[in-house]
Amino acid sequence: MPASGRPFVLALGLCLLAALLVFLDRQGLITPARQTLQQMIAPVAQRLTALRDGAGDLATAPRGAAALEARIAALERENGALRNQLIRLEQARVENEFLRQQLAIQRAQPWTLLGAEVTVRSPDAGRRVLTIARGSREGVRPGMAVIGQLPGTPAALVGIVEAAGPHAAEVLLITDIASQVSGRVMHQGRAEVGLVQGQWQRGSRLQLGQIARSLPIAPGDPVVTAGLTAALNLPFDLAAIPADIPIGSVEQVRVAEQYQLAELRPYVDPDQVRYVWVILSQDD
Amino acid sequence: MGDPQPRRLEEALARELGRILALVTLALIQVTLLTTPLGFAVPLVPVLVICRTLLGVGAAFPDLGLGRALRWALYGGLALDVLAATPLGAHALALLLAAILVAALSRRLRVERPAVPLLAVLLGTLIYELVLALLTQRAPIPWSSYTIVVLLPSVLVALVPTLPLFFLLRRLLGGQLFLQL
Repeated sequence: MPASGRPFVLALGLCLLAALLVFLDRQGLITPARQTLQQMIAPVAQRLTALRDGAGDLATAPRGAAALEARIAALERENGALRNQLIRLEQARVENEFLRQQLAIQRAQPWTLLGAEVTVRSPDAGRRVLTIARGSREGVRPGMAVIGQLPGTPAALVGIVEAAGPHAAEVLLITDIASQVSGRVMHQGRAEVGLVQGQWQRGSRLQLGQIARSLPIAPGDPVVTAGLTAALNLPFDLAAIPADIPIGSVEQVRVAEQYQLAELRPYVDPDQVRYVWVILSQDD
Repeated sequence: MGDPQPRRLEEALARELGRILALVTLALIQVTLLTTPLGFAVPLVPVLVICRTLLGVGAAFPDLGLGRALRWALYGGLALDVLAATPLGAHALALLLAAILVAALSRRLRVERPAVPLLAVLLGTLIYELVLALLTQRAPIPWSSYTIVVLLPSVLVALVPTLPLFFLLRRLLGGQLFLQL
């Protein structure tokens, strides 16, 4: 055991130093210094992350002719199911209407995208945050929407820029409990606006709330951003997220008082993306 | 023959720099190579800091050993803060409190017993995660689900590499190269 109280005095001093640093960073006084350090380490982190992703690919790649044939068969089955789903969707008048609306909005508001590599994922299980290798020098600002795409998925919202340094930015993933964006769920030609909140820390992924019971939503219904976060008077600076960015689809629905709650499955798993795009022209 | 005082200062600075570089490297490895698709990173730095604390308490000169362990906690925590985009000092404070708790509880224990590092990491990780949650999560924290989804899995993931890391660290600290770390 320690022979004197000296280590505990040192411990107290270091704790006070750490607490002071937390306070100063929260006040924004040393945030630029932290971001500069982050920027210095980013190239090394990016290489190590790429190395780890490469190793992951190697480990999960199918091996041998039998494994490849099985993989092809699985993909063909999935392709067939997707084609059937596509035909059903194409036959649905409402869905066509939605697609026309979406197309019109996209034409009216062309997004300028900025590609960015994911450099670091949060090491803390309690936070769903990633760091990307683009920052304010490239036009990235807090509140911008970040989308991603995985094989077989549409380009969909994965997070919102929370803070931006000169060459790196922190992205709060939509699955984090602190993430709240307005979403629009569509069902048989009708739409309702609600609040999409991250649920990772609660053991799920996404939840859509504040949906009026007058619109009966069902599993499979698509959910996109509504672009109405400001109208919902939320205490976050997210009013600039464009409308109609795909978020996910309804998995389960339950009723809570006069509202409905829906568990959502995100179209893109934010934990799997390696490359994302920041929507720069969200104000246009 | 030069003046021994500046030379000792240079040596101390070099050791401190070596300690910082080692902890930054370990933090880099944790946030890049040791992340898993399930959303959990193997907590290399926290486990090593707790093991270093145990070894420091059980060393021939516990004051020195514990002091070094606390510096590991500070440097490792600050490195994690820079890499994890948390307020500077948040991980450091969490690690320091975990190290202090482990040091206080393990004073009368024989750290060589395998159960001691496991218990220390269990308690230390719990404190670390709790402090981190309080510092980085927005209130109100849903504690019941947070415990099931974050705290318990994090503690379990931390326990997996504890014994190999503890005995590896003990071996390395016993060697000449790492004697001063």
